[in-house]
Amino acid sequence: MKESLMEIVCCPIDKADLELDVEEREGEEILEGSLTCTECGEVYPIEDGIPNLLPPDMREDAAA
Amino acid sequence: MDESRRVRETYDRIASHFADTREHPWPEVEAFLEGRQGTLGLDVGCANGRHAQLLAARTDRVLGVDASRGLLFEARTRARDRGFGVDLLQGDAAALPVRSERVDLAVYVATIHHLPDRETRVGSLDELARVLAPGGRALVSAWSTAHGKFDAEAGFDTTVDWTLPGGETVPRFYHIYAPEEFRAEVEDSALAVESFEVSSGNCYATVKREQ
Repeated sequence: MKESLMEIVCCPIDKADLELDVEEREGEEILEGSLTCTECGEVYPIEDGIPNLLPPDMREDAAA
Repeated sequence: MDESRRVRETYDRIASHFADTREHPWPEVEAFLEGRQGTLGLDVGCANGRHAQLLAARTDRVLGVDASRGLLFEARTRARDRGFGVDLLQGDAAALPVRSERVDLAVYVATIHHLPDRETRVGSLDELARVLAPGGRALVSAWSTAHGKFDAEAGFDTTVDWTLPGGETVPRFYHIYAPEEFRAEVEDSALAVESFEVSSGNCYATVKREQ
């Protein structure tokens, strides 16, 4: 994802701002990192350049 | 398991084959976009990005949102192959990770019928209304009983199999709408219907935020 997306995306649950943490970057593309909600503290991973902003109960690691 | 997760996992599984069979944009989407433009475009349930590609020609920036990561990778490949820009987000149509009042032009086609119940579907339409800018427009479509495949007057829940090459079938949840039911659902949300049509077995509503 591009860093300029930070002005557009928000937490899917409470719509609050997100805080970006970059682990790996290639030019303006953020490949690995995370987005943390400044309100509820939920952490959304950025993997392979695509942020996973699914609500927690729809994620891969959610309990079945 | 929650139905929304099940649908997402199904599309992750069939993503590659599904994308191959979804080459061309729908004429109804092309007709909606004709003469429209804006700063930010949004494709909810973007799949392989065939409609995000159309939006990219009419807006400065396009967001493609899909619950399935497999489909988002297909969209990324298509965008690279065809040379259009799209910002891809893994997200749920019922909980959009997009700030309010930003989107000028949106398409939400052939996706809402995968959401598990009326409350969730109306909630997703409220979400679309929330992200639309004043003056923004969106096209919402769903599969309907008007399709020749179905012999029903009233809307119903069903499972439609996807057949992979090799013959394996993968089930997908659908709510098949009666056209008037779809219209009522849109009108119950924070969206206002500007025009409504039934075409090729799908219902289409052109919508804006309720005043």
